[in-house]
Formats: sequence, structure tokens, C-alpha cells
Amino acid sequence: MQQQERRFAFALLLPALVTTGLLIVYPMYLVISLSLREGKSMNFLDSTGQVFGLQHYADVLSDPGTWTSVVTTLVYTAGSMLPSFLMGLALALLLNTTFPGRRLFRGLILLPWAVPGVLVSVLFLWLLDASYGVVNAMLRQAGLISTDIAWFTDERTALAAVIAPTIWKSFPFFTLTILAALQAVPGELYEAARMDGAGRWQRFRYVTWPGVRGAAVLALVLNTLWAFREFDIIFATTGGGPYRATETLGIRAYQEAFSYFEIGRACVLGIVMLAIALVVVLAARRPLQKEFF
Amino acid sequence: MTGIPMKRRTLLSGALAAAALAAGPAAAQTVELEFPTWQAEEPGPADFWNEAVKAFEASHPGVKINKYQIPFKDYIDRTTVRFASKRPPDIVQLPTRNFAAFAQQGWLMPLDELMAGTDIKQAYIPLQQEMVWEGKTQGVLLMAYGMVFFYNEKMLADASVSVPKTPDDLLKAIKATTNSAAGTFGWGATTSEHPNIFVDWSAWATGLGASLFTKAGQYNLTDPKTVAAIDSFRQAVKSAPKGTSTETARQLFVDGKIAMMRDGPWVAALIAKAPDAVRPHLKVGTMPFPVVAGGTSNSIHIPVGLDPARQKLVWEFITMISRPDWQARYFKLVKAPSPRKDVASDAEVAKDPMLSLAMNAAGKAENLFPTAAAAQLGYAQIAKLVGEAGIRLVNTETPTETVLKALQDELSRRVPIK
Repeated sequence: MQQQERRFAFALLLPALVTTGLLIVYPMYLVISLSLREGKSMNFLDSTGQVFGLQHYADVLSDPGTWTSVVTTLVYTAGSMLPSFLMGLALALLLNTTFPGRRLFRGLILLPWAVPGVLVSVLFLWLLDASYGVVNAMLRQAGLISTDIAWFTDERTALAAVIAPTIWKSFPFFTLTILAALQAVPGELYEAARMDGAGRWQRFRYVTWPGVRGAAVLALVLNTLWAFREFDIIFATTGGGPYRATETLGIRAYQEAFSYFEIGRACVLGIVMLAIALVVVLAARRPLQKEFF
Repeated sequence: MTGIPMKRRTLLSGALAAAALAAGPAAAQTVELEFPTWQAEEPGPADFWNEAVKAFEASHPGVKINKYQIPFKDYIDRTTVRFASKRPPDIVQLPTRNFAAFAQQGWLMPLDELMAGTDIKQAYIPLQQEMVWEGKTQGVLLMAYGMVFFYNEKMLADASVSVPKTPDDLLKAIKATTNSAAGTFGWGATTSEHPNIFVDWSAWATGLGASLFTKAGQYNLTDPKTVAAIDSFRQAVKSAPKGTSTETARQLFVDGKIAMMRDGPWVAALIAKAPDAVRPHLKVGTMPFPVVAGGTSNSIHIPVGLDPARQKLVWEFITMISRPDWQARYFKLVKAPSPRKDVASDAEVAKDPMLSLAMNAAGKAENLFPTAAAAQLGYAQIAKLVGEAGIRLVNTETPTETVLKALQDELSRRVPIK
């Protein structure tokens, strides 16, 4: 009977295992295999004749450009996630209060998240256009600048310029997740805290934050991983330029694969990304375990 | 089907009937030829391709050509990926500067046997020879050209400058007509990372008698004459709208926001679509440089491995557009010289000032693209690296010599020319 139950359970799991194998394990195997094939081939599907070796790893890990991309990726991820998180938290707190039109605002807040990354890029390309963008026009009118800023094509401002649309697209997820957690915090706790003389900050620190901490940490981990592998916004706005100022690891891997046809190097960069993502997940394991398990 | 329950028999019969219907009359299926191009939306070339596709489909019932746009900036990368993954398009158009890299990979079908049944080898200009790689003709030339000068005479007059006749006049005129606060600019150029920055640099340097490559085909970016030429280009491009692609710069010129630009003669077709208030002021002339820069532009090919039936259709399309009547149409619509010698008489050319100018420029043009095989093979990577350096010239104050030295070092490392 137990044997039969086991077989039945396995049969139910089989479709999921096959899908996982095809979509995750096999591509991973290919990436690792191609990263170990020395030389360069324009034929993506045929690596016969390319010997196994670690040359690509040596080339990539000793290339200063790789480490510049690592730093760019970390700055981009932190630079977009922290403001998104703070904005999301602030909006969630606001939307948890009662005011006219609250329902409408709750719906509108979701819109940036629903817009595809490429459309967000087009929007910000126009807003931040060097010659005809509304942002430069407003800054000039306010007397803050005298010459137009080439936001996306100047090395000094390009990274900030790609972070802006990422924040705009990311904060709704934080808002939604934290708002849902806020709704579960009993109102009596706030009343009791008020009666005990707790001020606004103390109520946030001892009532609100413990109630939303779990959801906030989970949202932060998920969004950090998404930002880490972000591609469409950066590719559509700067393509990794100007002069590699916005070349994150994901963009660099793309350029190596499809502009320079260095598939081996691109695969090594993919593995570097995987290693960094694994470190993030392991670092987040404890706080997540504490909150949820 | 005896012994099978009634309900199951009905289901099986239905399934068989559905399968038979789906298999259906195979002869009625349409053959669709895929034709990606960066010219699908460019006035002039797009008009020609639309007419050619329509005529071909009319003369070949059951054949459809799916022509679609890929932006020039991404064109080579995307086409290379198609070939590398063994899924090339049926009709292959290439910028001739990238032809060598594709031919070297063995991706393009030799056409000598097919061309023996046509007059292309006899009737085409000598530049058709650029389509020969390792002794085999692997494409048919579509366009060769010399750069021309586009200007807005009203913007020049408003700034009290005359049409420039020398490089110094040009720089003065650019400065005089630039008012970035008002959204008007003296010069139109590519100021975002784009493979055409190579064309901008090379056209300017060649025009001033310098060159990005030595006669032996080596990189020449640190030569004092090249540095001076690129520095002069930098002065011009500082007065161009920032962050624009080649296509955006053309549109801004046609909208009356840019006073002058250098480009191929086909941009004249875009002028025809300019707003009524701007169109009368947009003129075309000769670049005010001692040398006219130019070269071959693009070509058409058949990919290796196409099935014989599709291959035959693609060759018929190429043969059709190579005929004198279609090349004459090309010349008229695109305003660029046809690669056929016998397309228009001197009298016909003289009647149209734009055609006359285009023929004159093409006749005098000096090649702005590299000729050494190694540079031709690595052109896509060279253009990419030049594009990156080009942005530094536009947006930073790093000395030109420093930018060019760093670029030459990187080019020598990533795309060595032996």
C-alpha cells in the first residue's frame, strides 16, 4: 500500500520534475558546458572541436571590465531597491489611512508595475531627453541648470538615469506587499500603544514594523534578485553605454554573446551572476526563516 | 472498427476527419519569404521596396514577401544571431561594410552560376566586385554613393551666414546657427552609441584628407592629421542635439530643428515629407570639404542552405530588381545612384538636380570604409568600439588625443589587424 502511494506521489510529481529538468537543469548544463569549451565559435549549436578548459574563466575573471560590471550591478541594485523600498513603505502607510479617493489611488499605484519594461524605457527616454525632455526644461526654468544634461548619454548621469525608471517600476510591488501586511495588524494594538503614551515613531517601531517586517524582507529579497538580473530597462535606454557606464553583468553577458560572439565568456558571466545571487539568497535565508518558518 | 464501443467509434471518426481536413489541399498553401530590412520605414528606400514586393507578389501567385523593419543599430547583431543559430531569413540584405564577416563564415550562397544567366556582371559598375569573396560572387550590390550636404537655408539666413564653402566656414556656420535653449542646432549627427558614429568620424576625416586607417590597412587613430580631423568633428558635434540616433537627427533636420547635416543622398526622399512650412527651405549641395567621402552602401544575398524552391524564388526577386526598369525606379525613388551603368541618360540626370548631385558625388567619392580584409571581417566590433569612444567625445572634456589613443589600444587588443 505504501509502495503504491509512493508511486502515485512520484507520478504526480513527474510532470513538474520533467519541466524543471527541461527549463532549468538542461540550460544550466549547457551554460556550464559552453563555459568550459575553449575558443570561439559562431555556431551556437555545435561546439565540437572546441576543447575543454578554463581559459574563459581566466579571461573573464582577470578582465578589469568584469569587476567594473560587478560594481555597476551592485550600485544599480542597491540604488534602485532602497529608494523603491522606502517609497513603497511610505505609500503603504499612507494608503492604510482613510482619505477620499483611497480606493482609486490604490488602483493607480499598481499601474507602473503593470507597464512593460520597454515602454517604461520609452517614457523615460522622452522625459529625460537631452534637448527636448520635460525634465531638462523644468530644471532650466527653475534656474537649476544652464545647459541641457544628456541624462542617458553622459557617463556621469547615465546610471542614475536608468535607476530612475527602475524605481518607478519597482515601488508598487513593495506598496502592495507591505499594505497587505499592514491590513493584518490589529487596530487594538495601536489603540493600546496610544493609551500607553507611545508617539508616532514608537508606534511605527513597536507595532507597525514587527507586523510588516516579514512581508517587507520577502519583498526586498525578491525585488533585489529581480533588479540584479534586470535587462530590458537598461538595454532599451542605454544598451549598457555610454562607454559601459551602465553595463551590468546581465548586459555584459548579452554583449559578449551577441555582439562579440564570445559564447564561452558570456556563459562564465552567467555563472558569476548565479554565484552572486546565491550569496544573496543564503544571506537572506536566516531573516526569512525567522519570519516564516 | 468492429468490437469498438459506439461512442468511441464516433470520436475516432471525428478525429480522423479533422486530421484529413487539416492536411487539406497543400497546393493552396502560401509560400512566405522573410525579408527583414532596416529600410522598411525609410522614405525613398521603403517606397522602392513596397513597389518591388507588390510587383513580385502579383507576378508570383501564392508567394508572399514578409518585409519588416529592424532598426539599423540592432540589424547586424540580430541578423548574425539568426545565421549563427541556422535560421537565416530568406532574403538577406546587408550593409556592404559587414558583407565580409558573413561571407567568411560561409553563410552566403555563391551566385556566379545563377548570374551567368543575367547581364549583372556586364551591366553593373566595377564596385560590384566588392561582392566577391575568395573568388566567388556572393551578393548583388544595391547602392554606392557619395556623401552630400543638407542645409536649411532659412536657418542660415536668420543667423546671417551664407552656405559654407570650406570646413572653417562650416564650423563657424554651425556655431552661429546653434541655440540649444530654443531647441535649434547647427549640426545633425549621431550622438548616442550607434554603429554610424564610425561613418560620421570616417566621413569627416576622409573629407579633410585624413583617414582612420593607414594605406596598409592598420589603425591610424593616433596620427596627428587624424587627431586634428576628429577634433574638428568634435567641435561640430558639440552643437548637435545630444542623445540622438541617425534616424532622429534626420527627422529633426526635416522638422526644421537642425541647420545642416551630412548624409547619403537618399535622405532627400525624407525631405519630400517635411512639413509645408519647412520643406521649401531644405536644400542639398556638395559637402564643403576638399574630398567627397562615400562608398558602397548595401547589398542583397541568398543564404546558404535555403531549400531549392525558396532559393529559386529569392533569385527571381533579385533578378527582377536588377533589371534596368527597376533600377531606374530605384534611382528615381531613392535618389541614390543605381549600381547599373545603363539606368539613366545624361539628359535625364541633368533634368533632376538631386540626381545630378548624387551622380556627381558618387563619381568623386573616396571610400570611407576599411579595405583590409582583417578590418572588414571585424567591422561590426570596430564600429561598436568607435561608437563607445564617440560618446566620450560628445559628452566629456577628455582630450581628443587621449580618447583616440585609448580607442586604438582597445581596437588593437579586441580586433587585431595582422
